[in-house]
Amino acid sequence: MTRELWKGNEALAEAAVRAGVDAFFGYPITPQTELLEYMARRMPELGRTFLQAESEIGAINMVYGAACAGVRAMTSSSSPGISLMQEGLSYIAGSEVPCVLVDIMRGGPGLGNIQPGQGDYFQVTRSAGHGDFHPIVLAPSTVQEAVDLTYLSFDLAFRYRTIVIIAGDGALGQMMEPVEMPPMREPTVDRPDWALSGTAGRAPRIITSLYLDAEELERTNLRLQEKLHAIHTTEQNWESYQTEDAEWLVVAFGTVGRIAKSAVRAARGAGIRAGLFRPISLWPYPEAALDELIERVQGVLVVEMNAGQMLEDVRAIVQGRVPVRFLGRMGGVIPLPDEISAELAHMARMHQRGNGFGSQHRAAERSKIL
Amino acid sequence: MTKGTVSIQTDRCKGCGLCIQACPQHVLTLADTLNARGYHHVQLDERDGHCTGCGICAIVCPDVAFTVYREPLRRAA
Repeated sequence: MTRELWKGNEALAEAAVRAGVDAFFGYPITPQTELLEYMARRMPELGRTFLQAESEIGAINMVYGAACAGVRAMTSSSSPGISLMQEGLSYIAGSEVPCVLVDIMRGGPGLGNIQPGQGDYFQVTRSAGHGDFHPIVLAPSTVQEAVDLTYLSFDLAFRYRTIVIIAGDGALGQMMEPVEMPPMREPTVDRPDWALSGTAGRAPRIITSLYLDAEELERTNLRLQEKLHAIHTTEQNWESYQTEDAEWLVVAFGTVGRIAKSAVRAARGAGIRAGLFRPISLWPYPEAALDELIERVQGVLVVEMNAGQMLEDVRAIVQGRVPVRFLGRMGGVIPLPDEISAELAHMARMHQRGNGFGSQHRAAERSKIL
Repeated sequence: MTKGTVSIQTDRCKGCGLCIQACPQHVLTLADTLNARGYHHVQLDERDGHCTGCGICAIVCPDVAFTVYREPLRRAA
């Protein structure tokens, strides 16, 4: 296979096409718009469905309907649009139908701006709507990884009848990189045995998220939890980089994950034994792998493009065994490798002096400086 | 040194700033205004005519926003 230069958003769209997406519904929003534009051109070419909805709320409910019919349905948006979709996502989760959602995160809260951000971590990993559920959330750090994860996402969504969210950010969506595209899959014609495909020759089926009887709803929830437990135990995914002998562990995901790689190399050049733990699945969080690494390091540095969201997951896993320090940039500012390696050097220095470096919140320190 | 200029399709620009880093003549800056896509796009600051038309901006630009013009060197007699 040859490698071609692709823009992140367009590469994600083509990967979904090759994975056999049957229907795309969406609404434009920067920095995700090229994905929708690409689909508007590509889907009709293949005789598949593309529809620009009147809003994100319309788009997610069209996805809900298409998913109930057992086809491969997807939508994409960016942070404020995902907020609008939450109601629909909860209904999809409650009805247990599969779909894929791409979130190209931007700076928030509110309209924020159109620069890259990671402030949707809570929004996408915790539930992305009301009620007890978690979507599967995958966070690529390169355009190639975005393509590979998107290609697999429909299989995951259908295996578990769940929502799969590809959580990228504005940098990844706008970035152009060489990519090896996966082969085109034949569209699936067989619909699953739960799909609403017309009652000709069979008994009617019902897909709903409404259970007025308390005990029935609890039974439904228990079944959902059982499924989430199965996902939690089997779908944890991560990358470890130079962690074998690491004393100082950087934990970062997505775009920051790849920036942190440069920082780890720089720190090692300066004699600091640094390593990187990069979660690829944000839910389920790769707890077991991180837990095992914590036993062998002196301290952890969490780096994110937000005020410290994944930080809470890391702290829950570390449970005070080693100090956890946080470096966060917000508003679309991307942390640079120098900042991260300087922070690692600071941690190593303080440790040598025997001062410890506490678990001070970097944002608080920054506001003091400002 | 040759004289040159660049024309920039500003609506393709996402303001990544790679060209600004790469320009050996320091004649590229980010505009205060936004383009149609909402980004501060790059612009050529030609006040002193320092652009040589070397084309490095066009090579590093991931979004193919530059067209480079270069005055041909005159041959000696």
